[in-house]
Amino acid sequence: MTRIISFLGQRLLFIVPQLFGILLVSFFLIKSIPGDPAVLMLGPMASTDAVVSLRTKLGLDHALPIQFWHFLVNLVHGDLGTSWQTTRPVLEDLLQRFPATLELVTLGLLGAIIIGVPLGVASAFDEKGILGRVAGVYGLTAGSLPDFWLALVLIFVFYTILQIVPAPLGRLDFAILPPPTISGFLIFDSIAAGDWAALGSALTHLCLPVLTLSLINAGPILKMTQSTMDRMLQSDFSRYEVLSGLPHRMVVRHALRNSLPSIVTIISVLYGYLLGGAVLVEIVFSWGGAGQYAVQGVLNSDIYPVLGFVLFSAIFSLIVYLIVDIVYVAIDPRIGR
Amino acid sequence: MLKLSDRVQATAASSDARPTFDIRGLTVEFPAITGVPTVAIRNLDLRIERGEIFGLVGESGAGKTTLARSLLRLPPEPGRIAGGELLFEGQDIMSLTEVELQRTRGRDISMIVPNPRSELNPLLTVGEQIANVAQVHLRVSRREARGLALDILRAVQIPDPERRMTAFPHEMSGGMAQRIVIAIALICSPKFIVSDDATSGLDVTVQAQILELLRRLAQDRGSAMLFITRDIGITAHFCDRVAVIYNGEIMELAGREDFFFRPAHPYTIMLMAAFSYNQSLRRLWARPEPLPGAKVHDSACPYTLRCPLAQERCRIDRPALREIAPGHYASCHFPVRR
Ligand SMILES: Nc1ncnc2c1ncn2[C@@H]1O[C@H](COP(=O)(O)OP(=O)(O)O)[C@@H](O)[C@H]1O
Ligand SMILES: [Mg+2]
Repeated sequence: MTRIISFLGQRLLFIVPQLFGILLVSFFLIKSIPGDPAVLMLGPMASTDAVVSLRTKLGLDHALPIQFWHFLVNLVHGDLGTSWQTTRPVLEDLLQRFPATLELVTLGLLGAIIIGVPLGVASAFDEKGILGRVAGVYGLTAGSLPDFWLALVLIFVFYTILQIVPAPLGRLDFAILPPPTISGFLIFDSIAAGDWAALGSALTHLCLPVLTLSLINAGPILKMTQSTMDRMLQSDFSRYEVLSGLPHRMVVRHALRNSLPSIVTIISVLYGYLLGGAVLVEIVFSWGGAGQYAVQGVLNSDIYPVLGFVLFSAIFSLIVYLIVDIVYVAIDPRIGR
Repeated sequence: MLKLSDRVQATAASSDARPTFDIRGLTVEFPAITGVPTVAIRNLDLRIERGEIFGLVGESGAGKTTLARSLLRLPPEPGRIAGGELLFEGQDIMSLTEVELQRTRGRDISMIVPNPRSELNPLLTVGEQIANVAQVHLRVSRREARGLALDILRAVQIPDPERRMTAFPHEMSGGMAQRIVIAIALICSPKFIVSDDATSGLDVTVQAQILELLRRLAQDRGSAMLFITRDIGITAHFCDRVAVIYNGEIMELAGREDFFFRPAHPYTIMLMAAFSYNQSLRRLWARPEPLPGAKVHDSACPYTLRCPLAQERCRIDRPALREIAPGHYASCHFPVRR
């Protein structure tokens, strides 16, 4: 336990410099995208004077390092800037949109784990069995399918033909009032409010996008599970367990335990990646999530939403990696001593 | 020409017991890309009598590990047992079902492995790993299994056994880990123990302690043992009978006294010369290593290229293992007699 705490302390120390580095790099990268926000905001007909005064107002006339400094100072005061597209503070936008993405991605990833890990274990357990073959074919196809295409197919089948899910337009039916926002996660908020109609609507809207993400992302999880399990089952200690007459099930169980660090790693990488990587699925389902928000920002030189998204994602990823590190320490006695 | 197994059968007929382990015509192959498999163990006969410690000596690459693991029907990947019988207490290991095989391994026949630190599971405490084997094979509760594990840790003289129960393999020294593996091998009091190069990684004093311990524990339990080593010196102190393996075949086999006082096979003598650091003996019995690619024909003695006594006959007629004196076997046309 003390081991984990001292480990955590060390890691937390590094979070602030890590975030600073990430913001620094993204700030200068985004600034290097061509396009003048003042011109974009005022439109092509604006006078030069208007543009100049807007640039001054936005602080765009300062040198880049100074602009970055201003950004940091505002950040410390909880101000992430304003999006000129939505004309709302970025923080407000993100607090609303980030949970939407997080809810989608988390459930999608859970589904992917539920599909990928058992299939991977089963195929390592019995390569030539039915499950092993299914896993082999699945691993190949899942890697080659584009997610938005799969989403469209699912919409076609389940909405257009079978009509068992609602239209792919957002997180709730138009007729249903969203529950009061507590966490931003609709499932949680509607349960907290006891609003079962909202819960039902939220769940049915989640079905297809979650299924899409699950089916696509089960691929890498399955492959990682399979190959790590294979490696573990070939390793000296597994062979020794077989030589010692331990039952096959127990040997596989131990191999799975030894494979967990790799499986947890691929899951955590996918988690961080999907925050932005699920954007095509978000667009197909008009999800209104953070990924969509950030992409709009990039396309329109709207820098603050992008930086805000980067900041949120970075913090989130760092938290995920921290949890992963704790899991490593908990699983493997050789780490962190 | 009598097969070794028939011979020993005849001499051992007086005692009622059948041998603990009787290997008949074992052949183990490794598939090769060229299509012609590498034969790692060739038509090998060997009997290990009840309660005896049988020493098997060979250079690295002789096929020791392949033989040891094949006895449990698990040759190193991608090896394959191509033929032969493995009679354990009269029952052919080759005919067991998977479940019977699993019950036999670790309970009736156990194996002491080299490099125990990589063979133990890095994520489980050694106490758990010992208890697992006890629980599976002796069908006792988890509690009892832990109790047995603690007992066996005491028996292998691990200092502070209670604390060691919760230690992980990486926290142990090589000698300590070796004792753990011995504990696992002995916990079910097996009838037969195969020890593969078990003490080679240890320094000499630790090695001597562990060998002494191993001998006593095996004797207490009445276990027979096949003790495989690269070190011919160890067998002189430790084993009742000794055999030399070369290229997957037995070159010479004899009781300890005969073996060390009247070695007959040129290869055995070369091994002893090398071991004794006697320069003139060495010069006499060694020949320059054959070129790496050089291979003898299947119908020649496998040792011809290195043998100082090799003659024309050795190159065309592969010698079989034959009895040159009571209980003393050599596979050589011109065994050295004095
Ligand atoms: N994985 C393998 N692939 C191919 N051939 C092998 C393999 N392992 C062993 N062999 C063959 O079997 C012979 C005996 O190997 P091994 O049993 O490991 O010897 P030892 O334990 O006496 O050092 C080797 O010389 C080699 O020809
Ligand atoms: Mg070996």
